[in-house]
Amino acid sequence: MNAVIFLLPIALVLGGVFALLFLRAVKKGQFDDLDDPPRRMLQEKD
Amino acid sequence: MMATSPGCAHCGAALESREERFCCTGCEMAYAIIQGAGLGRYYEEREACAPRPGVTPSGWMAVPTTHCPGGAEEVRLQVDGLRCASCVWVIEQVLERTPGVEQVMISYATGRASIRWDPRRIDLTALAGRIAALGYRPRALGEESAPDRDLMLRLGVAAFCAMNLMLLYASLYTGWFNVMDPRFSALFRWLSLLLATPVALWCAEPFFVGAIAGLRRRVLHMDLPIALGVAILYVHGAIATFTGHEGYLDSLGMLVALLLAGRMLESRGRRRAVEAAMSLAATAPRTARRQAGTALQTVNAADLRAGDLIDVGHGEEFAADGVITEGAGQVRMALLTGEAEPVAVVPGDRVVAGSILLDGALTVQVEAVGSETMLSRMAAQLEQAADRGMRPTAADRIAPWFTGATLVIATLTCVGWWLTRGMDVAITRTVAVLVVACPCALALSQPLAAAAGLGAAARRGLLFRSADALLDLGDVDLVAFDKTGTVTAGTMTVLEAEDGALRIAAGLERYSMHPIARAIVEEAINRDIALPRGEDVREEVSIGVRGRVDGVQWQLGTGGPGSLLLRDGTGREHRIRLGDAIRPDAAGTVQQLEAQGLSVALVTGDHVEVAERIAVAAGIETVVARCGPEQKARWIAEQQRMGHRVLFAGDGLNDGPALAAADVGIAMGSGAASSVLVADGVIARPSLAPILAARRAARACAQIIRSNQRRSLTYNVVAVSAAAAGFVNPLVAALLMPLSSGLVIWGALRVERLVKKGDA
Repeated sequence: MNAVIFLLPIALVLGGVFALLFLRAVKKGQFDDLDDPPRRMLQEKD
Repeated sequence: MMATSPGCAHCGAALESREERFCCTGCEMAYAIIQGAGLGRYYEEREACAPRPGVTPSGWMAVPTTHCPGGAEEVRLQVDGLRCASCVWVIEQVLERTPGVEQVMISYATGRASIRWDPRRIDLTALAGRIAALGYRPRALGEESAPDRDLMLRLGVAAFCAMNLMLLYASLYTGWFNVMDPRFSALFRWLSLLLATPVALWCAEPFFVGAIAGLRRRVLHMDLPIALGVAILYVHGAIATFTGHEGYLDSLGMLVALLLAGRMLESRGRRRAVEAAMSLAATAPRTARRQAGTALQTVNAADLRAGDLIDVGHGEEFAADGVITEGAGQVRMALLTGEAEPVAVVPGDRVVAGSILLDGALTVQVEAVGSETMLSRMAAQLEQAADRGMRPTAADRIAPWFTGATLVIATLTCVGWWLTRGMDVAITRTVAVLVVACPCALALSQPLAAAAGLGAAARRGLLFRSADALLDLGDVDLVAFDKTGTVTAGTMTVLEAEDGALRIAAGLERYSMHPIARAIVEEAINRDIALPRGEDVREEVSIGVRGRVDGVQWQLGTGGPGSLLLRDGTGREHRIRLGDAIRPDAAGTVQQLEAQGLSVALVTGDHVEVAERIAVAAGIETVVARCGPEQKARWIAEQQRMGHRVLFAGDGLNDGPALAAADVGIAMGSGAASSVLVADGVIARPSLAPILAARRAARACAQIIRSNQRRSLTYNVVAVSAAAAGFVNPLVAALLMPLSSGLVIWGALRVERLVKKGDA
């Protein structure tokens, strides 16, 4: 059980890293347009 | 692709013989550009034929651009004519292969293009020309607001914290039954407080800001009870952590995350509608040909000065207000007067910017340019008139009662328990009352249903600026239509012509960009007539077109009002009747509106006879003819005084006052840009039927909002009574709150289904 004392903060820190990555993605504009990229994906780029 | 004949290799139009591959040189050029860039795959993968190339634009030097580091320039354009995803692909590829272009991104959903290029190697006019040469129409966009990233950030953080809070609290709750090591419960509580802090202090900030702004204006806004709830949840949670108890911190996280998600959905729905309306209002930049000595120079409309002499050729738009000094012709002023019928002008007559010279050639002495023109002044007046300010939503109207009732019940609970059971019990139960009274579901009920309603209407062709206007549409009982461009298509179409005559006329007119010529060619293509090639075609002002078709000399000229006469040398004559045709679905729409118990009226500036004829064709009984812009607005105000709720649909700048005066003003997307800007909603298709669909969306939306409000109020009454009686602890609150919000969300999902039921 004592492992929880360490694991829980570690899990939260890991989660926090992902939350920060999300913030960065929003700031870089990745969520500005949610309609086009799904369509664009279906097109071949040469 | 085209079932009837192989057709033009680019646009699919019918061809006169099997040897030919293209209907016109424009299509041939577009084909050459695409093949030349090695993009032939386009023709295999596209789902719809390409549009026919139009006039190459000019005047793009006046479009505002952004300077990027490294000397590049960037511009945002609206591209019209996109028919399938392949269109986007081919434009992007062609531009990317153009030397000097650095990056191109076009959104198929909105038609927005963003292009970055090196101004030392190519200019914007050339780029716009490339797009136009392919058959698409680039237009300049006005300033745009940046997308709302702030809300997304807050939502992301709130969701992250809420989910972790839920995890920690689930352990704490199970610890109640299965006694937990106090070290763990302390750790869990402190971690929870750590997670709840950013939620309460940062994510929930918009609610505090809204509540304080409301208090300053002495309004009890819906944000106030929410802010109150969040504050109490957090303060109580913090105190509980210090004293070693559970607070309601998990409810806090979920509450804020849900409310932010509701806001996000609403703002995205509204933004999409406003953006789409703005695209319809985007305009091509204007240029003029100014006389400089004996030469002509092409300049931006903005650079013209009063006193300049400009030449205007047929098919061109006047770039400024002025007086005709030379020449004669026919001018279409539909934008200003709403009348499709062209007006004959001679030297001395005044013309205004925005009208189009249909026929002839003129020299005009400029009197007013830019914001001084009649067009701009009228548009500015309209925008002022249309600024109605924010209307309170239904939830905002309930908010004061709600807040008042909550505070009264909380006080009673506090006093009651204090007197009977003492201070501690009183505080616990009062907090429970304030917590469950937090109107999360009530606050969600409106934005979710509204976003669903706006989306349902938009998918069916009617874009609304706000949910309020959409809801008003459901209460309308009188529908007034403008005639030209609304009930009718607003463009010249062939009303009557024999196939043989049409074929010859189309042969003569196939190279002309004149609106009448386009109408004839289009009708011939619609009737699947292969276009013959006219030879020695000459256009002569005020006579018409002469030329040879199949070896016979023909002349196509005016044959009195609303008709053309096709003659050969031997006295054979054919009449082609032209006019503004009624929209194919107008009669059906009117009939259905009447079947729903609405009155329908035709309000127009035109003569009584013309108006009557159109009204009969559309099945409209009430006709109000010879109405100027102000009279239309006055007529609407009169009807409103008589207790009617009026919808007005129009398209011209002259309809602006009426659009602003009506309870709901709907503009045609094809109409004047300024009418699009002042209207509550815009029809994005050449059709009236979207009004019916939007009405269904409005009613479904109103119905769902009502039932959602009933549900959330019921929940609040039950939960508050339970809390006052002492049955609510953090666990019960954590179960109740998502239950009520879930019901409301489920309700909003039904909007689209309700509307769809009516589609068939």
